[in-house]
Amino acid sequence: MPRTFAAPRLLLSARALDGATRATRERLLEIQARFREPESLAVTLAKAVEAGAEGVLTSPSPAVRAALAELGDPIPLCAVLPALRPQEYRMLEPGVEPLLARARHAAGAGAQLRMHWTGLLGLSMLRHGDFAARVPLLLEAEAPLLPRRGLMGVVIAAPITDAALAGGHRAFFESLPRFVRARFRAAAGFETRNPGLLLRRLREWEASPDFVVGPMNPPGLGMKPSPEETLAEMGRTRVPLVATELRAAGLVTLEQGARYALGHGAHGLAPDLAEMDEVAAELRALAAGMGAAR
Amino acid sequence: MSAPAVPQTSPDHGTLSPARVLRVAVVGLGRAGAAHAVMLATTRGCELVAVADPRAAARAGLRGMGFALPAFPRVERLLEKARPDAMFVCAAQHERARVVQAALEAGVPVLVERPMARTLKEAEELVRLAASRGVPLAVGHPLAFEPVFARAHEAVRAGALGPVLQARSAMFVSRVFGPHPRHGPGRLDPRHVAGGVVAHLASDLLFVLVHMLGAPVEVRATRNLIYGAVEDELHGMMTLTDGTEVGFDCSWSVPGYQRASTVIEIEGRDGKLLASDEALELELQRGAAGFPAGLTHVRDAEFESPARFDFGGEALWVQDAAFLRWVAGGPVPPNEAFGAFAAHVVMDALYRSAAAGGVGVKVA
Repeated sequence: MPRTFAAPRLLLSARALDGATRATRERLLEIQARFREPESLAVTLAKAVEAGAEGVLTSPSPAVRAALAELGDPIPLCAVLPALRPQEYRMLEPGVEPLLARARHAAGAGAQLRMHWTGLLGLSMLRHGDFAARVPLLLEAEAPLLPRRGLMGVVIAAPITDAALAGGHRAFFESLPRFVRARFRAAAGFETRNPGLLLRRLREWEASPDFVVGPMNPPGLGMKPSPEETLAEMGRTRVPLVATELRAAGLVTLEQGARYALGHGAHGLAPDLAEMDEVAAELRALAAGMGAAR
Repeated sequence: MSAPAVPQTSPDHGTLSPARVLRVAVVGLGRAGAAHAVMLATTRGCELVAVADPRAAARAGLRGMGFALPAFPRVERLLEKARPDAMFVCAAQHERARVVQAALEAGVPVLVERPMARTLKEAEELVRLAASRGVPLAVGHPLAFEPVFARAHEAVRAGALGPVLQARSAMFVSRVFGPHPRHGPGRLDPRHVAGGVVAHLASDLLFVLVHMLGAPVEVRATRNLIYGAVEDELHGMMTLTDGTEVGFDCSWSVPGYQRASTVIEIEGRDGKLLASDEALELELQRGAAGFPAGLTHVRDAEFESPARFDFGGEALWVQDAAFLRWVAGGPVPPNEAFGAFAAHVVMDALYRSAAAGGVGVKVA
């Protein structure tokens, strides 16, 4: 029986710091300015966990790593990899090789050795460009960015997930969760901007990541291919969905978004920094509503 | 909780798909080509049958995403072997005219990334060729398919603002702060590209302006070359036939714009309009184009989003689907070649004015 990990029920998403959250430019700049100092972010992360969040969903950017280093106790992290801002991602050529070249350039000797070993096991030198063989190398290259303690999950960023989804890369979705669980001893997730289609394909391919992260909200914003098809798939899938973009870019309240997502089959919630003004209080209210308060 | 009532005119999900299954191909597998491949793979009634790129690594990159397709180094071979019903051309700018010409001569409809060719002369020849052969030719202008800007266009064209008195526009992005300096070997060599920020980015806004307000008769522009041999910023002023002035500013060298940000502000005799990536705001003296009299503020998220796939945005999917509908016998999309060529003519005039230090240049 392959080992699996429990999907989180309540995360604080800090994807706004990566510029990956659907919000106005002003709001993203405001959030990024508010948490520019590591101390400020560290306090918010600690309060979020105290308020009931099981961990933080974000890429291990320098700002996040500096904030985690401020804290004595580890904050559970669902690390979104590759740790790349959408702005940076858009400047690279498509596919995994440009990402790999960039990561390899920054990787230290230890990471290079692990990459070499992982590459040998997967015969990746013969599978140039293949997500199934090369994304594990990319994760190895970025492994030094991850905390030594408190890693609860590794989540593949939406640009990678959705490219492989459109390409119908079944082997990638089958093999990557196995690699993540074995290598990092953590849950394996996929971030997507197309939750209905991803869940359907995962079911058809019998691929089983520990969870999927994607938008879910009452107006149906971002619920691709359509809100109706996404909801129908929610009734069929066995893969837990952790819902994001609960406020639909501000069209509804967090409470409305959370109630909708949980009422339509979402396993968990990941409200974003950009969606909350009082992070601790709003998370506490959500946790209480989910019966997950510690 | 129901979404707020917003005046919508976008087609519903079903009608965005072409009426028959079309076999399509993508030529040029850089970021734009890969994005088109992703969109086409998720469009109903469309089968992605082949791709082409002279770079083996680019072909391998797309195959590595899972696209198990015949991949050719040359477009001529693709046309001969795959015989597609339509082609999406994202080749390098200096290669585009040759690739599009090959497709049109084979009778294959083309959607080509903007600008459609490196020079105005090449673009004109392509438009003539498409017209003479009766083959659909469109140019990639996804901004025109963003719901906010599509509705703004409808409001202006319906006369909601009355005669336009003045307009301003801007498009900014922080591209030069990306991981790959854009002045790498040959990447923005003026011998290979039509220009800098206007050709690569803001020609999208220019197309929307020309489509919305009509082509200007004269332009003046100044430019800044900060990092290389092509412009990083351009400030233009365009004069319409009735003397109305339209401002046009663009830069990819300003901080704080992680995503491309576009604004159009128009003042008319009967109202004002402010369209941005985030909202559409109208202040009308009388109701028109489905908008009531008074102030209307509609956020981007409130518009219907008919795309069935999101890959860093939805407008590309809507644009590609509209082109395929045209190929299948449906309505002509706004970005068809004649309309896009009009914007290309204005871009060329802006460049000539900027090169001459900001003198007025008549638009042919």
